[in-house]
Amino acid sequence: MKNKYLFPLILFLLAVVLPYIVPEFWVHVLTEILIMGLFAASFNMIFGYMGQLTFGHAAYYGVGAYTTGLLMVKANVPLLVCLPLSMFSAGLCAAVLGYFCVKLRGIYFAILTMAFGQLVYYIIFQWYSFTGGDNGLQGIVPPAFLGRAANPYYFFTLIVVALGMIALWIISESPFGYTMRAIRDNAERTEFIGINVQRYMHLNFIIAAMFAGLAGALWGPFNRSVAPDLCSWQHSGMPVFMTVMGGPFHFLGPLIGSAIYTMLMAFVTSFTEYWPMVSGIVIIVVVLVMPGGLLGLLGDRLPFLRKNERSAKETNG
Amino acid sequence: MDDTGNIVLQIDRLKKSFGKYKVLTDVSYSLPKGEIAAIIGPNGAGKSTFFNLITGYHLVDGGTIRFMGREITNWPRHRIARTGISRAFQVSNIYPRLTTFENVRQAILSQQRRTLNIFTPAHRLARKNTLELLELTGLLPYRDTLAGILSQGDKKKLELALALAGKPELLLLDEPTAGMSSEETHETMELVKRLNREIGLSILFTEHDISVIFGYARKLSVLYQGMVIAEGTPEEVRKNEEAQKCYLGEEV
Ligand SMILES: Nc1ncnc2c1ncn2[C@@H]1O[C@H](COP(=O)(O)OP(=O)(O)OP(=O)(O)O)[C@@H](O)[C@H]1O
Ligand SMILES: [Mg+2]
Repeated sequence: MKNKYLFPLILFLLAVVLPYIVPEFWVHVLTEILIMGLFAASFNMIFGYMGQLTFGHAAYYGVGAYTTGLLMVKANVPLLVCLPLSMFSAGLCAAVLGYFCVKLRGIYFAILTMAFGQLVYYIIFQWYSFTGGDNGLQGIVPPAFLGRAANPYYFFTLIVVALGMIALWIISESPFGYTMRAIRDNAERTEFIGINVQRYMHLNFIIAAMFAGLAGALWGPFNRSVAPDLCSWQHSGMPVFMTVMGGPFHFLGPLIGSAIYTMLMAFVTSFTEYWPMVSGIVIIVVVLVMPGGLLGLLGDRLPFLRKNERSAKETNG
Repeated sequence: MDDTGNIVLQIDRLKKSFGKYKVLTDVSYSLPKGEIAAIIGPNGAGKSTFFNLITGYHLVDGGTIRFMGREITNWPRHRIARTGISRAFQVSNIYPRLTTFENVRQAILSQQRRTLNIFTPAHRLARKNTLELLELTGLLPYRDTLAGILSQGDKKKLELALALAGKPELLLLDEPTAGMSSEETHETMELVKRLNREIGLSILFTEHDISVIFGYARKLSVLYQGMVIAEGTPEEVRKNEEAQKCYLGEEV
């Protein structure tokens, strides 16, 4: 029981030590892994825990990114103030759009989330005077106290992402989190034990969007700019791939998936331009060989990874 | 004298069709508080449909449903459950990928209105109540088993546990002993009887097993061709000619 915290602890220590060992390029990669990892973990609150596939989660990531970008560029608001405001704006957006999405299930849910995602993308793309349209927003710089080197912003990201992941972990283990598992397993029965399933799904949708917004908020200062592509459906596909790779039935699956995906991309793009093909092949292999993701596969061998989540194939019978 | 205070469930002129097919044409029914009653009828008579209407699974086409004097017709399912009607399904309807313990805890947390809590680890809550209910329903040995791989009989016990977790005023059991061994059937029905006697729980069940029907129900209603064609104590129904023709004759 005690060693269920061992794996996350090792990961954290690794995250603290690595930037001192690897070249600066890889520190940037690590930063990206963390940001995308938090994004993917927030996606998995809807996918792994609630059992619905969203194909528009990047909209909330993008809204978070633009909230921080606009506030910093146009109003000089400090980054630390921008972060909660980004969560708020992403959550607000999800409160409105999610209201309609949670009326649907399965493929219809996926399609509506995707359609709303494209709507957000389109608004940002078209609203030239406010968002900069397809040029995006430039000149988003991390606060002065973090300097210009790679490491300080990396550690800032590490702290924010770690706190975000801890918050998501607490939520996922709470009665609310178990209610999400119950809805995933049998939404109908959940109504008959007195739970307003739609309302709970809506709340979870908002929570997931808030943490996507937080991840998005970290992106602008890291990349020095934001662009409408952050909201596109292609970008919504990233957490899907990452989560499937890492394992949707483990809390850390999405983060591990982000590490594999991001590192592979950084590695492959450094010597070939055929990254989309490589990533396609990797995803096919993952889906065919390890349907529970990497942690699902390892979990069958390493008991400390199992906790109380189980890989999907065990219970299909 | 006004006796509505003693009626848990009052149903008037209930109608339900699926497309052109009329399942319930005109059903009126009333269940006194603290009663233990059975609805019987051949396969496809509409017994499950009757339960589905009471619990909000289907919308009614006509008629009214009153619970403790309050009209609940076509309320949303979760609201009907909250108001005090729990139900165990004919085909077990549980959480296959959660453990037996987690199944029951989920229903208890819902009854305690703690499911909006996002801060406290679930494993610290409702532990005692969950273990008690598992003990009561004979599921304690399987607490850590995934509910999806329980035996048919144990799934039905879990159904019962999920329904009881709601601390209902009225318990609807749709063939509670289907798929159980005769020993399990006896245990389960004894438990149901005990709950009725000790905490005055009102119970309405359906069954095909004649020994269960006549052994436990104090009131019987025969549902046939969309209507209640006979009603009364088991003895009265046994003697009723129409009931014999339509239903009992085949099996007694
Ligand atoms: N959702 C539905 N759509 C269409 N027809 C339905 C639906 N539910 C039930 N029926 C039909 O209504 C009739 C009554 O079904 P119901 O399940 O209520 O019978 P029952 O008395 O519970 O039978 P059993 O003893 O086999 O459980 C059946 O002919 C069934 O096919
Ligand atoms: Mg039935």
